[in-house]
Formats: sequence, C-alpha cells, structure tokens
Amino acid sequence: MKAFGTMLKTELKLSLRGMDMFIFAICMPLVVLILLGIIYGAEPASEGADYSFLQQSFGALCSISICAGGVMGLPLVVSDYRGKKILKRFRVTPVSPALILTVQVVIYTIYSLLSLLLLYLTAALFFGYEFTGSWPQFAGGYLLVILSIFSIGMMVGGIAPNSKIAGVIASLLYFPMLIFSGATLPYEVMPKALQTVADVLPLTQGIKILKSASLGLPVSDMTLPLILMSGIAAVCIGISIRFFRWE
Amino acid sequence: MEEVIKVRQLTKSYGKKRAADGVSLTVGRGQVFGLLGANGAGKSTTVECILGTKTPDSGTVELLGLQPQRNRKKLFERVGVQFQETGYQEKITVRELCEATASLYKTAGNYSELLKRFGIGDKTKSFVSSLSGGERQRLFIALSLIPDPEVVFLDELTTGLDAKARRDVWKCLAGLREKGLSILLTSHFMDEVETLCDEICILKHGKTVFYGTIQEAVGKSPCESFEDAYLWYTQEESV
Repeated sequence: MKAFGTMLKTELKLSLRGMDMFIFAICMPLVVLILLGIIYGAEPASEGADYSFLQQSFGALCSISICAGGVMGLPLVVSDYRGKKILKRFRVTPVSPALILTVQVVIYTIYSLLSLLLLYLTAALFFGYEFTGSWPQFAGGYLLVILSIFSIGMMVGGIAPNSKIAGVIASLLYFPMLIFSGATLPYEVMPKALQTVADVLPLTQGIKILKSASLGLPVSDMTLPLILMSGIAAVCIGISIRFFRWE
Repeated sequence: MEEVIKVRQLTKSYGKKRAADGVSLTVGRGQVFGLLGANGAGKSTTVECILGTKTPDSGTVELLGLQPQRNRKKLFERVGVQFQETGYQEKITVRELCEATASLYKTAGNYSELLKRFGIGDKTKSFVSSLSGGERQRLFIALSLIPDPEVVFLDELTTGLDAKARRDVWKCLAGLREKGLSILLTSHFMDEVETLCDEICILKHGKTVFYGTIQEAVGKSPCESFEDAYLWYTQEESV
C-alpha cells in the first residue's frame, strides 16, 4: 500500500506537470459543453422530445475525458516508460506490473471523475441542466465505459513495440472515436449511414448506455452494448497482463 | 565464505553472435568483483542474465541462493541495481525519484543520507533532467543503494564522473563493503578496478580470458602494470 500511495502521488504530480491531460480531459469536454449550451441552450433534442439537447448530450460529453485518458494518456505513458527504460529499472525492484498499471488507471479515472463533476456543475449552474435518469444506472454504465476504454489503452500500451507506434495507434483510436462515436458531434445529427459505421466503435455503445441512464430511458435495448463492452474489457485486460513487456 | 552470486557455464546468443559463452563466476559475501572487457565483450549481457532481465540459453545462475526469474519480487528486496542506460520520468525531481524508489521496498535506507554521501545532498529539489551527467550518475548509484541491499550491481560505475567524484564514490563503496555489501561492477577504468576489486573476470567475445586477482592478472602476463596486462588480455590477435 505504501508503494501504491507514493507512486500514485508522484505519478499524479508528474501528469499534472505535463499539462496535456488537463487540456484534453478537463478543458476540452468543458469547452464542448459550453459551445453546445450556447448554441442549443435548452432547446428540445428533437421535435416533440421531452428532454433538451443538452440533456441528450450529457452522457456523451462525460465520455470525452474517459476517451482522452484511456486511449491517449494511458497507452502513451506506459509505452513512454518502456521506451525510456523506466520499466526496466522497475523490473529489478519488487514492484509488480499490476501495480504499475493500476496506478496509471487510477490517475486517469481521477481525471475522468473530475471532468464529470465539472461538466455536471457547469451544465446545472449555467445551462439549467437537470439529470432526469437514474444515478446508480449511470454509475454502472460509467464504470463499464471506463473499464472497456481503459482496457483498450492498457492493451495498446502493453503491446506496442515503441512509443512512436503507440502514438500512431492511440491517434487512430482517439480521433475517430472522439468525432464519430457521438462524444463531440452528436450521434443524432449524423446521417444514417454514418451512424451504422459509428455503431462499431466501442465508445458509441458506451455513450448509448450513458445516454439512456442519464435520461431515464428504458434499459431493455442495452443488452448488446453491455455484452460488447464487457467482452472488450475482458479480452483487452487479459492480453495486456499476459503480454506485459518490461522492455 | 558464503557465495552470494554463483554463475555456471552461462551462454547467451543473439542470432549467431555469442554474447556470453560459458561464463562462470562466483562472488562471496563482502567481496567486490569486477567484470571487465571491451565494449561488446559481453559484460552487460552477463549482468542481465544474472539479474534475470535476460534469459540465458544455457547455464545456471544463483543470486543469494535464489533463481532471479522465479523469485523476482523476493530477491529484489535485497539486491540493488544500477544499469548502464537508465531512464527517469520527465519532470521528476530528485526527491520524488528517491521517495518513489524507496516506497517500492519493505525496508529502505535513508536516501538523504545517501545523496549527501555522494555529494548531491543539495539537489533534492532539482529536476533529474537538470543534473549534470556526473550528478545523475551518482544519483543512480545512490538509488541502487536505497533498499539497503546485500548485493549491488553497478554497470559502468564511474563513467562520466570527474576525478574528485570518482574518489568519493570509491570511498563510499569501500565503506559499505566493510559492512558486508557485495558488489559486482563493470568498469573501463583500471585504476578504479585496482582500487576496488578483490577479484576480476576479463571477457573477450563472450569468453573468459582471465579470472583471478589483480596480482595474478599482472603475474600471468608479460606486463608490469595492471592496465598493460588488461590490454594484453583483451588485445586482438594480429593474425
């Protein structure tokens, strides 16, 4: 526990000094929220819908920081530590790979939760947002999204041969997911063909869960996303631990 | 004497190149052992096989009576390592690096004391990246001693250090050795080896070309000084 606490404290400080996660996971979702709030305000999401555009988007906005931390932050930091031979130094100490990975996962979870809190407060205080769904359901879905997106990041960080390739893979995952999964550009405004393509992305499924939970919509059609996301998480975590490389 | 490092017929190849070819060595408790040879002679490979960060093709390794790859977590509570090339997190300070390192061990020595002894006690607030090469080298030697180890591996101990800093490092290591610390080091400086090492092993193309004490090394060669003897052992055949 002493090792975990000290490493968490140190790595959190280093991450904050790096600034990039502050920008991508904290500022960026807020900027998108403020833009949507100003443009659409409290307009209904679609004609006759009994929830506002902002209410509809809230679940998606919460996933931006998860996406930034999970598929950008996490794989880049792990592959960077491998490239710089920091993991090699850890290898000749009693520390376990699980501890190293857990510390990073906790750090990006903290960023995500902080972003969630800021988004909620900003939306509620400045744009009259009301959360009409079920918090427990939302929390469950949120955890599942974190688990599956972070596990993809762990896998990329774990098996990418070097930080350059990790960077390329991270960008290939991050930008399409950010744009096409509904995290920034609302899923509802996309043409049907694009929606079909977007459905393949795990984050699209995650956002569907978050959206339903935050709006209090029935969860009956959530079975497929739930199964898909749990499956992704299980496979990716398995691979990242089985194939963890110190060098 | 208790044997803390025991290596038998260690062989490791990269493709067709034999980096270590039947290396055997024994280090007793409180001994300082020097692993010598030109660049690419197989020193680092041998060290990494002993530590278990590389898997030998054949041969056996025992470190404090344990097998490094099977008992990694248990073993590295008691073994310190300074690698030749090592990394640190960007924007980490000396204090943070020391604290994080100390936290990994069940018992860890006082790092401020160590830093002071290596002449970088006033650098705790500096970024590791802002240290000079010599200061950084001393920091990583200090880090390897943080767990209060029984055995320490020092790869290219004083490369990049000025004359004064080298003397300080030697003095510090000699002191720790008096307390029973066993040391395996690699070095390119023969004055250092003469000052510190009880026994040496000279490698050439992965093979042992000399094993014994400094006096024996000079005695078995046609040379007067140890440095000449070392060069004689490691020189390339002219044909």
